[in-house]
Amino acid sequence: MFCPGCGNGTVMNCFYRAFSELELSLDKYAFVGGIGCSSRIPLYVNSDALHTTHGRAIPFATGLKLAKPKLKVVVFTGDGDLGAIGGNHFINGCRRNVDLTVICINNNIYGMTGGQASITTPHDFQSTTTPFGNKEYPFDLAEIAVAAGANYVARWTTRHVHELTRSMKVALTKKGFTFVEVVSQCPVNFGRRNKMADPSQMLEWFKEISVRRDKTRTAALNHVDLNLAGQVTIGEFVDRNRECFEELIGVERHG
Amino acid sequence: MKPVIDKRLCKACNICVYICPKKCYSRGANISDTGYFTAAVSAHEKCYNHNREGKLICELCNLSCPDQAISWHPETEEEKKK
Amino acid sequence: MRIPPGEYFVQGNEACVEGAIMAGARFFAGYPITPSTEIAEGLAQRFNGSDGVFLQMEDEIACISAVIGASWGGVKAMTATSGPGFSLMQEAIGYAAMSETPVVIVNVMRGGPSTGQPTRASQGDVMQTRYGSHGDYQVIALAPASVQEMFDLTVETFNYSEKYRVPAFLLSDAEIGHMRGLLKVPQKVKIVDRKESGIRRQDEAYDVPDDLVRPFPTFGKGHKAMITGMTHTDTWKIEPEDPKVHSELVTRLSEKILRNRKDINKWEVMGKGAKTMIVSYGSSALGAKEVAASDERVGLLRLKSVWPFPEEPVADVARECDRILVCEMNLGQLYFEIKRVALEAGCKKIDLLTKIGGEPPTPSDVRHKLREMGAI
Repeated sequence: MFCPGCGNGTVMNCFYRAFSELELSLDKYAFVGGIGCSSRIPLYVNSDALHTTHGRAIPFATGLKLAKPKLKVVVFTGDGDLGAIGGNHFINGCRRNVDLTVICINNNIYGMTGGQASITTPHDFQSTTTPFGNKEYPFDLAEIAVAAGANYVARWTTRHVHELTRSMKVALTKKGFTFVEVVSQCPVNFGRRNKMADPSQMLEWFKEISVRRDKTRTAALNHVDLNLAGQVTIGEFVDRNRECFEELIGVERHG
Repeated sequence: MKPVIDKRLCKACNICVYICPKKCYSRGANISDTGYFTAAVSAHEKCYNHNREGKLICELCNLSCPDQAISWHPETEEEKKK
Repeated sequence: MRIPPGEYFVQGNEACVEGAIMAGARFFAGYPITPSTEIAEGLAQRFNGSDGVFLQMEDEIACISAVIGASWGGVKAMTATSGPGFSLMQEAIGYAAMSETPVVIVNVMRGGPSTGQPTRASQGDVMQTRYGSHGDYQVIALAPASVQEMFDLTVETFNYSEKYRVPAFLLSDAEIGHMRGLLKVPQKVKIVDRKESGIRRQDEAYDVPDDLVRPFPTFGKGHKAMITGMTHTDTWKIEPEDPKVHSELVTRLSEKILRNRKDINKWEVMGKGAKTMIVSYGSSALGAKEVAASDERVGLLRLKSVWPFPEEPVADVARECDRILVCEMNLGQLYFEIKRVALEAGCKKIDLLTKIGGEPPTPSDVRHKLREMGAI
């Protein structure tokens, strides 16, 4: 269902591994996705799935979760779905801190529609809408989530499967809005146009540009390298215990 | 245990070839029924899980494989000797 | 939770709040927008977490998305807005239609287009209610004309959305929303709940019964429901490339409503048999009502449901009268539907009184027009 070498399958593996190591039950979970390749992951999981409109997975998930607080809700989304059209819902979701786990598979491109630039496409890179090189600079989605108030924020790449699995376990168990960004390869619609047609080339690139951050380092302006081609910081960005929205409005008492 | 690639699932992305720290895999030379030059297990004895039972270690390949094509099977007596 | 039975003197929007609670709504997501904000504020007071969930979302798109999500959690959910917010909600409304999600949207219409007249009434969103989202779909829309109907028709809107698994609309306006009047709350009202899947068999959600309303697979009950806005089969397989699957699905969504039009139609007739009939709805009908009550030459067909278009009552009236006057607070929207049906039924003269700017047509506006038409 995905292109050969697509990182989505890798992310699903890590998710399933985290899920089974925690001995969780799919019966207690529902999955919500927006529109895009990674947003289709909920449709491939053997559980209730809500495949919604582009960019709106988080408000749909918010409604579902608050209507049925005992149901656990996981959102799968992509860089464009979350950070471009869904930007407003992304930051307000973090702020509101509803108990959701959001996995954003960031492949730096709009893959499903053929490879248009996204808000995380690195500067100067090629895409179908930036044939002369991307003149814009990318978002740092993890840093945005930190600033907006998410309880847990981590970023890894598909090159870091064990660390990713571990972060997913934290994200699944922790209360509040937990956000895991996975930088992932889209060899067909991103890699191929940027001299990395082979998935292995993209994974090697991820390894080269990844820089670990330690938890205590705050994001000063000059540390945040918005140009992905330079570096992408990976690791756990924040792990805090702000009250989740359900606790704040007292909805846990029913449902 | 030894890794086995399910040819029906493998789409020849060759991530396993790249990621295995012991170089147990190699790019495929034969086309499968689904039309891919599926990757091959060329040196299962180099795998960390060779002659091992119980919990697997490393697992970079099967966690990375986007098609969940890699699974683990016990070695035959012959294979164990390698 | 529900308001005790009795008589109250309240604002239209407040009556809507009580109607929603009475109908069983337990989830509201809203965004402040004049002239609907009182509905959000009212439900913020009443839904305190344990009795229901109230959310003020970041924009109207988040509001409509949240209420659809809440509906899949098995809860009756509502949002309220006006023109600019209503325009934002259209994509998700199409999603609710395609995924057959019961959900209620209150549109307290104001002067448009664009920011227009935030505090003044209009009926400018009537066509948008029917055709606002892309693609072919049918919706149900009711038009209250009094504080009492802001209560009664809110309950009915919920009942219809549950019965037919469709987004249903309460088309109010700034006049009806803000006017104060008598509300009589009864002891009981008739409530309709969605037909749930899994009562008789776990896979009931795959059925397509004769009334075309499929059992609802609430999330969290083991149905493994796969709900999407993409073209899908009865067993939730996504098949956007298949012309037959798409055609069958979209046709069924339309038929589901059109076939049940006679159950959905709601209207009121005054002065049946009069040679001149006014056809109107909502605030526009108020002035006309006074004229019809005081002049036996003139009758009034007041539509309480506007979508699906109530062909039958309009045709009945058109067959018996010589001329029809449509009164609307827009430049002519429902007029074209009324004219189509009336001409087909044999009525030769269908005129239009439009009044935009915020004031409903007064009785003297209506009489002036009728004199122009030679009707009185």
